[in-house]
Amino acid sequence: MATDFWSSSHYKRWIVDRATLRQARSDDLQYVDNPEHLAFLNIFFANLISRLGRKLQLRQRVIATAIVFFRRFYVKNSYCETDPFIVAAACCYVAAKAEESPVHIKHVVSEARTLFGEYGIKTFPTDNSKLAEMEFYLVDELDCDLTVFHPYRTLMTLVGKGTSAASDTEVGEAEDGPRYWGTGEGKLELSEQAIQTSWFIINDTLRSELCLLYPPHLIAVAAIYLTLVFSTTTRAQIQASSAHPSSASSAPHAHPDPTRRSSRSASSSSKKHAQPPDLIGWMAGLNVSMSLVATIAQEIISLYALWDRYSEDAGAGEKGSLRHAHALRGSRAAKEAGSRSGSAEMSEARDEGAQGEVRITPMFLVQLLLHMRQKRMEDLSHPANGRPVAVNKMLERTQAAG
Amino acid sequence: MMNEYPGTSGNILLDDPMRIYRAKRDAARKRVTDKYAILGFISSGTYGRVYKAQSKDSDGRIHAIKKFKPDKEGELATYTGISQSAIREIALNREISHENIVALKEVILEDKSIYMVFEYAEHDFLQVIHHHSQTLRSSISQPVLKSLTYQLLNGLLYLHDAHIIHRDLKPANILITSSGVVKIGDLGLARLTHQPLQPLCAGDKVVVTIWYRAPELLLGAKHYNKAVDIWAVGCVMAELASLRPIFKGEEAKLDSKKNVPFQKDQLLKIFEVLGTPSERDWPKIKEMPEYMSMKKLDHYNNRLSEWCQSRIRSHGADLLAHLFAYDPDKRLTAAEALQHRWFHEEPRPTRNAFASLPSHQIPPHRRITQDDAPSMMPMAAVGSQIQAQVSQVQATAQAHLSQLSHSHSNASKVGSAASFASLSGGAGGGGPHTRKKARLG
Repeated sequence: MATDFWSSSHYKRWIVDRATLRQARSDDLQYVDNPEHLAFLNIFFANLISRLGRKLQLRQRVIATAIVFFRRFYVKNSYCETDPFIVAAACCYVAAKAEESPVHIKHVVSEARTLFGEYGIKTFPTDNSKLAEMEFYLVDELDCDLTVFHPYRTLMTLVGKGTSAASDTEVGEAEDGPRYWGTGEGKLELSEQAIQTSWFIINDTLRSELCLLYPPHLIAVAAIYLTLVFSTTTRAQIQASSAHPSSASSAPHAHPDPTRRSSRSASSSSKKHAQPPDLIGWMAGLNVSMSLVATIAQEIISLYALWDRYSEDAGAGEKGSLRHAHALRGSRAAKEAGSRSGSAEMSEARDEGAQGEVRITPMFLVQLLLHMRQKRMEDLSHPANGRPVAVNKMLERTQAAG
Repeated sequence: MMNEYPGTSGNILLDDPMRIYRAKRDAARKRVTDKYAILGFISSGTYGRVYKAQSKDSDGRIHAIKKFKPDKEGELATYTGISQSAIREIALNREISHENIVALKEVILEDKSIYMVFEYAEHDFLQVIHHHSQTLRSSISQPVLKSLTYQLLNGLLYLHDAHIIHRDLKPANILITSSGVVKIGDLGLARLTHQPLQPLCAGDKVVVTIWYRAPELLLGAKHYNKAVDIWAVGCVMAELASLRPIFKGEEAKLDSKKNVPFQKDQLLKIFEVLGTPSERDWPKIKEMPEYMSMKKLDHYNNRLSEWCQSRIRSHGADLLAHLFAYDPDKRLTAAEALQHRWFHEEPRPTRNAFASLPSHQIPPHRRITQDDAPSMMPMAAVGSQIQAQVSQVQATAQAHLSQLSHSHSNASKVGSAASFASLSGGAGGGGPHTRKKARLG
């Protein structure tokens, strides 16, 4: 990351509003029965890119960059007019170069072919030059903005791991850049497990369009916030200190119930014999908009609700996600956390999911994509009726909606 | 559920699902020659070629357009994408903006070629040095030397603050506009150092042109930092002062196994002026991979002050000595160098480095020639809007490019020839990047 976030291409050109995202999907919406299906594509392709990235032995940051590239591409393009599979492969290829850990194009082509074959995609070219050609269009679509900021960096800095996490930094390189989230001095002390949880939540946000809507540092803070709330220990601390706001910073009676201590994120439980950290004070000291953080946290929870209705084989492509971590431990922790955190919205969404609404599978989405593309091509290749079909359908939809 | 979207029948478009997309994009794309009139050829290097061009906008500004050539990988070649160095240069340039860095105006991707459009700069350090040694036959005056060095450090401070190491600073890569503003160019070897996923040595085995290469690199250091750029600034400053490279060593070439050899001659050239480094100067020197080879060299004493006597006066000599600290940790940083006394005593550095010069001493304009390889720049297509023609051109380009190839890794080569670029026009009014100028006061 060159320079700081506020002067970056990421901030200046690639944080968009919801209207832009809606506009970006307007063509696609004509070819789906249920607009929600498009949201599942976000999950599907993030998983797909993660899987491809792991086969290419790309680091998580590179995978994250690839997913952001993919999202940016589809701000400007429609699924129904493109082949998202070759776009996904090109995103991995370019991200690897942009993050200075290049992989050979042959390698990308062969891994992508094998992987996409599992989803019944037979059209992926064998020929390197097709991927190279796609790379070219992709870089152009990205306006050559290839430097991406990720929430991971903020997370590690906020929990005081900024320098140790970068232990492979070159000699003499210190974290000496200005901190762009504010002037707060305090670092948050989080257990390794809690940091891991936050990290997984950040991974999970890549399955949504949050990276297009909000600056990465806010996503990081929202991930920490959710981690703190998910953990019974820290939640008790927060509740105690908010019950006695006057003594928030010195509240000695914030005694978390040890029997309910969560194994998921026993954040700062090891420090609890000392004074419990003033979590609210720390959050407030960040100098970020808490209402935005709350909005992002809500959106993350909605993502989990949506994701619950999606099933992929054995967490394929979901390694490194909170969901996968919990699945491994055989606990439905996310669900627990949802009901415990008292988020009505979340449990509602979950109930809905549980009440047998059809689960979305990758094969369904692949069929959907093919269908969308075919319909689009039919529309484009039969302009003889003189009326652009697209507009028609849009009108119908609007009229139907009243 | 699976049957909701019935199987799709055979369709030629499904065999090439991106056809519609490409057709749309290609039709919408503005071509280089639609936007710029090519005035002539400036220079070429390992990366490609640089042209002088005039915008067809109403402002008619002059630009330098750098066209990357695809790397060749033997004769039989397949196109394997954009080179690592092009990606790097594009990615970094899109993020940065500073008065003393050549500004990238836009990038045009067309027919598998990449065109980077930069502001134009009329001069560069190498040309100024030649002008003084060949034409004027006199040294560069202190005010000019000081202003050029100051602005170079000022641009470098910006890069270093952004965690970018340039890694190829040399006179040919440092440009000057006709209004005397220094512009650091050619970020093709530059790298971000902030939390790298791989150590810096993993990517490019050899960095920095040999005469400007820091001792830690010559001694085979696996880890290095911004200090390599500061060493190069010292070399450039000395070259401005004496009109010839201060450490003009012979490069030992890579052997058949591409091992990086011990750069004995270059080290000796350095030792002859700065003396043999001691453990007292540089405690970690013992850990350098080539330390034992170095120990076998003859011993020299430091003669830098002697070298400076006829060339750089008092505080300038002191600055140079600190830029040439052997120990990278003791070498000045760009920020420290800008605070040096030399810059804060009369004559002060000026924003127009040539401000003190009579007009006949200002170096001549950059020479441009007719391109000796016209194929590198596409001819302006008459009626270029016609889609058929466009696709024909592209088909031709594709055929041509299919014979070329790319090695995507380690693509950067040392010593890209003379650089280009940068602007004169608009450098007038203060601009948004004057904050570092405050140091002058």
